[in-house]
Amino acid sequence: MSIKAAPLHQKFITTNFWILIFFMLSGAGFAYFRFFEGFGSVTNLNKAYPFGIWIAFDVACGVALAAGGFTTAAIVEIFGREKYHALVRPAILTAFIGYFLVGFAVFFDLGKYYNIWHALVYWNGTSVLFEVAWCVMLYLTVLGIENLPNVVEQFKGKVKLPGRLASFNTQVDWMLGKADWFCRKTMSFFVIAGVVLSFGHQSSLGTMMLIAPYKLHDLWYTPLSPLLFLTSAVSVGIPMVIFEGTLATKFFGRKPETELLGSFAKYVPLFLGTYLLLRLGDLAYRGVLAQAFDGSVQGNSFLLELALFTIPYFMFKQKSVRQSGSKLFLCALSVICAVILNRFNVFLIGMDMGPNWNYFPSVGEFAITFAFLALGVMMYKIGVNYLPIMEEEH
Amino acid sequence: MNIDRRKFFKLGAVAGGTAVCSVATPVLARDEREPDPNWYGMLNDSTRCIGCKACQAACKTENKLPSEATLGDDKVFGTPIYDSPRELSENTYTLIKMHQDAESQETTFVKEQCMHCIDPACQSACIVGALKKQSNGAVEYDADLCMGCRYCMVACPFSVPQFEWHKAIPSIKKCTLCSESRLKKGEPTACATACPAGAITFGKRETLLKVARKRIEDHPGTYLEHIYGEKEVGGTNVLYLTKPKVQFAGLGLPDVKFKAVSGLTESIQHRIFQYFIPPIAVYSILGGIMSYNQRRKKNAGQTGGDDEY
Repeated sequence: MSIKAAPLHQKFITTNFWILIFFMLSGAGFAYFRFFEGFGSVTNLNKAYPFGIWIAFDVACGVALAAGGFTTAAIVEIFGREKYHALVRPAILTAFIGYFLVGFAVFFDLGKYYNIWHALVYWNGTSVLFEVAWCVMLYLTVLGIENLPNVVEQFKGKVKLPGRLASFNTQVDWMLGKADWFCRKTMSFFVIAGVVLSFGHQSSLGTMMLIAPYKLHDLWYTPLSPLLFLTSAVSVGIPMVIFEGTLATKFFGRKPETELLGSFAKYVPLFLGTYLLLRLGDLAYRGVLAQAFDGSVQGNSFLLELALFTIPYFMFKQKSVRQSGSKLFLCALSVICAVILNRFNVFLIGMDMGPNWNYFPSVGEFAITFAFLALGVMMYKIGVNYLPIMEEEH
Repeated sequence: MNIDRRKFFKLGAVAGGTAVCSVATPVLARDEREPDPNWYGMLNDSTRCIGCKACQAACKTENKLPSEATLGDDKVFGTPIYDSPRELSENTYTLIKMHQDAESQETTFVKEQCMHCIDPACQSACIVGALKKQSNGAVEYDADLCMGCRYCMVACPFSVPQFEWHKAIPSIKKCTLCSESRLKKGEPTACATACPAGAITFGKRETLLKVARKRIEDHPGTYLEHIYGEKEVGGTNVLYLTKPKVQFAGLGLPDVKFKAVSGLTESIQHRIFQYFIPPIAVYSILGGIMSYNQRRKKNAGQTGGDDEY
């Protein structure tokens, strides 16, 4: 690595900072009612739609969109594409933040949140959720370890705690030294473990709704669902890196990295193509494609989802698209929207849980979801500002 | 060894892909679960039900559940509705619903409650095992174990489990087959005891099947020749009989296949965890690729990656 990453050290309290604070506070207001007055006071969840936007978006989409971490790590560290090294640290940081938020959202969504640790102690191996919970938890730990070198690099040898805590400087420095040694010895192990764990729970999220054959629409109820979830998550990894990279350069006033991102984007058609081949092959094999054209909400939603997946597949193949910052961004956005819509289709739109019941997220549900997003952006802001995440401009 | 790097990448991708495929492709459905001869259940004879809702009242008393007001529902739905409340809820474990057959105009009353499946989807889905089939046949819920994730509500093909949406610390609520309160004392369920029309028969599942078959045999004109729940979703402990002209689907009992709904998810899960072979295989393949690339880099003495793939 020729160029070193460094903290941005920009002015932290900006207008955007207050916007984020606003969203977080409004979410916190609704959270009070969620925790002390019950779900009914905040959400539109009902007996036919026990899973709402918190599961469909915050958890299912959150996990899928955090795939940038393991795909980038795999391409650079495992498949040795050193050229894209500059993208690894931001991707790993966002993945960590993403999974942290997933865990946080689950905590909000659980009726008995204080029993969340039961997943560790009371095992039920037949449950898909059991596998998801373990993989997410282990992967969050792995991501924490993968982010550790950033902290070590920044503070090792120059620990300066404020005030009274200063007496602990030596101990903290010693701990950082140990962490450094540990990371150097074991990082390869954790990088691969992160990829394997991601494979596990990305696919298991696709298995989740297969337990409801009479509720999930035929267009999404397929035994291939786990593989489709995995391949679509891999496909959205690079687009997420492009999306975040573009926004970060814009908001932190840095030089666009279009050349690097555009070059990275050339892997996308490979992944998207695999996904589309599996998806369409499966639909044709099961003979349910006709249902996409029956004019129902589900059918139309499926067509939109497919279009959002297919168009960027062809676009990313063109050099002119990969060289243009804005086109690249739009194509990446299309894949991201496609994956989000796909997860919504599986978890909400494609679920018919019985007549007479509808679900549309309430203001409170949206507010809490936005609060999570704001918290994520805030954590990212803190991360890149004080830790060596982004490489110095070249 | 001189494998071209590009080729190696592809090889690795194919090998990895195959390993993942073997995880994801479903295998043969797992073994069917056999009912235990000691399991209790109920036989709901919809031809006998008079719709008096005595069972509903008895259930409320037994489980100390508050009543639910449905006054004003007629304004919301245009017509007055017999069903009260309209659906099962956290305060109503059993419910009499009126169904009118579209063709024959025949009116039938049907009792709804937990079916106490032989192979319960909720038990398979529950992350902590809070829902469990008991030795007496009841599917029981342990509120202290539960995390409140509501996956059981998604999993249940009959949408039986209900959630306390208006409580700060909510639990799942559903029919218990009076397992703790009555079965342990050797008493039949509260609803079966309350029924004045003999529409609810309590007993061992095996006996109930015999009773049902005998009724169909003895009164061929009165019954459709099918016992709902004998095989549906792998079999249930609560069984249903209906009139010859009225299909079960018309009674709000879903038209389901004979295999348990959790078969597919469980076989996929089982594959992933089978001796941990698939994860270890993927791990080794990736590890091999990584060490190959690292050694290659060391030998070349440079860190820059190349452009093609």
